[in-house]
Amino acid sequence: MLEYALIAGLVFGLYFCLVGLGLNLVFGVMRIVNLAHGDFLMLGAFGAFWLFNLVGLNPVGTAFLVFAVFTALGLPLYYLLVPRLQRAKDPEMLSIILFFGLSQVIEALATIVFGPSERSIPGRVFGTGPVHILGQSLPAAWVVSAIASGVAVLFIYVYLYRTRLGYLTRAVMVHREEALATGIDVDRVSAIAFGIGLALAAIAGVFAPFMLGSVNPSMGVDINIQSFAVIVVGSLGNPLGTILGGIVYGISLTFMQTYFSSWANLLPYVLLIFILLVRPSGLLGREVRSA
Amino acid sequence: MIRKLTVALFVAFFAVFTGAARAAGAPAEIKIGTLYAASGAFAAISMPVHQGLKLWVDQKNAEGGVFVKPYNKKIPIKLIAYDDQSNTATAATLYNQLITQDKVDILVADSGSPLTSVAVPIAREHKMLLIDQTGTGAAFFSKDNPYIVLMADPVSSIWPKYVADFLTQDGPKLGIKRIAILYATNDFTGTQANAVRGFIKAAKAPVEIVYDQGVPTTTTSYTVIINNIRAANPDAVITLGFPNNDISYLRNLQDSGVKFKWQFNIYPGLETEGLKKTVGVKGLEYIFTYVPSSVIEYKPEFGMSLPQFRDAWHKKYTDDKVEFGFNSVAGYTTGLVLENALKATESMDQLALRKAIFGLSGKLKTIDGTFELDETGAQIGEITPLGQIVPDGKGGLKFVVVYPHEAASGKPVYPAK
Repeated sequence: MLEYALIAGLVFGLYFCLVGLGLNLVFGVMRIVNLAHGDFLMLGAFGAFWLFNLVGLNPVGTAFLVFAVFTALGLPLYYLLVPRLQRAKDPEMLSIILFFGLSQVIEALATIVFGPSERSIPGRVFGTGPVHILGQSLPAAWVVSAIASGVAVLFIYVYLYRTRLGYLTRAVMVHREEALATGIDVDRVSAIAFGIGLALAAIAGVFAPFMLGSVNPSMGVDINIQSFAVIVVGSLGNPLGTILGGIVYGISLTFMQTYFSSWANLLPYVLLIFILLVRPSGLLGREVRSA
Repeated sequence: MIRKLTVALFVAFFAVFTGAARAAGAPAEIKIGTLYAASGAFAAISMPVHQGLKLWVDQKNAEGGVFVKPYNKKIPIKLIAYDDQSNTATAATLYNQLITQDKVDILVADSGSPLTSVAVPIAREHKMLLIDQTGTGAAFFSKDNPYIVLMADPVSSIWPKYVADFLTQDGPKLGIKRIAILYATNDFTGTQANAVRGFIKAAKAPVEIVYDQGVPTTTTSYTVIINNIRAANPDAVITLGFPNNDISYLRNLQDSGVKFKWQFNIYPGLETEGLKKTVGVKGLEYIFTYVPSSVIEYKPEFGMSLPQFRDAWHKKYTDDKVEFGFNSVAGYTTGLVLENALKATESMDQLALRKAIFGLSGKLKTIDGTFELDETGAQIGEITPLGQIVPDGKGGLKFVVVYPHEAASGKPVYPAK
């Protein structure tokens, strides 16, 4: 049981890297808390559901499609919401209120359009039968989702550390005002990062029916709580810290399910409280981020 | 002769006058207050119940209303319904609002035990009879609380009676000796887990419980738990959860390649259409489940039959956003019980309504089976047999009732293929 919990936790945790990655990128670049993150994930999930049912599109294909669509959607949404927030005295606090409202609107509209019922995509689209890893059997869909997460992490790494846009993005992450003073088009850089953040959430949503069993318009709130646990454990504002956060979360969850199953839903809160008390900057955080 | 005629005229005049006076004092509408969850964790079980009740209301209003004995006439129904968003705190506020602000005549709880649980003390405090649609938690019912009656589901403590009886009586003959129980920790399934555990232990049969764990109702990943159950090497697995739990569990079971010899879940029977779409036909094959009134065609003595109700449902709700199933039957049954109670009650006083509803116990036979209450107001009729879902040979599924023997339509397939 121990080996299985460890390996399953690792794979499940890799998926949760993807779930938290977009939220952390948006917070890192813009210092805003996107409480609608879980709702964009939900929209990605319903996108995959409908595309599979209407045209039989494989979720891997849908992942590429939603990446393009949600990145494009993120650009106007950024210009509509974020620059006004940044001009406020306390953009972080105001962003919580604004994106909470946006979350409510998205959930209500999704309920009207899709109905409240649970929806899902058959697991057989990724093949029948489990995949064997180190002598343990895991659902094929879990492995595909973990691979998708790995690709997304690699993409973020290349984007941040191997492209000119990434250098500019990291400059904005370190100090927004100084980046502005050096002539960086902060809004353009931030808008792209915002779009990529939403797109990553939507890609996580595409794989949600396989990892979470089913999806419904109200799933956003739970996803937000889990995402916050993941990114706070890793390091708030450090997208690549999300990898460690996700793995810690995944392994902790499977161990809780194995040894204290009735208490497993307390895990996100326990992790959040523990990390905030012991290492508020997260496992990969620095003492002073903006130095 | 003249004297007799005078007396007759006087009696007739008196009867007409008092009848007219009663009708003149009648309200313009009977206010039924209820909650529903259009979103959130319980939306999938709440909306079918609400739409089932609403279908009955619309049907009665199209006929000019429902007959109310104290006023001796048909009165239209006004359904006052608020969305509690699956939130118990919001539900508590809205139940209070229905009683104190809207001053409803009849208070109907939202579907399911979690959203009913907050209504029980509120109704009791305000001395309002709580029309409990599907909140089956055994803790809601006590001899000292006359302000609750359960309409359309048996109380949770008797739901798994046939499951336990099958495992303890027929199970050993089939080779079932080791039983695993996995349940979601909420009133509905927690009560059933306690009940099935109690029934199995009381039977003193040669079976043992080798795995007995609860998981939060919010659980969406069961792969590790399934592996842990497999490690206990059970012959039969009883899984008790809400629809989202059953969907995740059965999908994870299928995807992980694990096959238990005997697997029971609640919702493959209760919400078959929804689970076919989410779990898939293959994932439901050979699963044991309750065989509810949305599948078994009871012969109703009042209200629509199952095919008529299904047709009416699909005609009214064409968008297919809320699935037809056991819960939709439950909402409609609530309406039928209320209709009969209003026809029989001596007054609109809450305890008089209770008396009228208790008067139907054992006599009212609807689409949902026989309506029967115990002294606490808990439903003990409408009990669901144990069935198994098997392939129908045409790419679909069919139910086989396997227990009790007198209701059985076939033999169980064990071990599952």
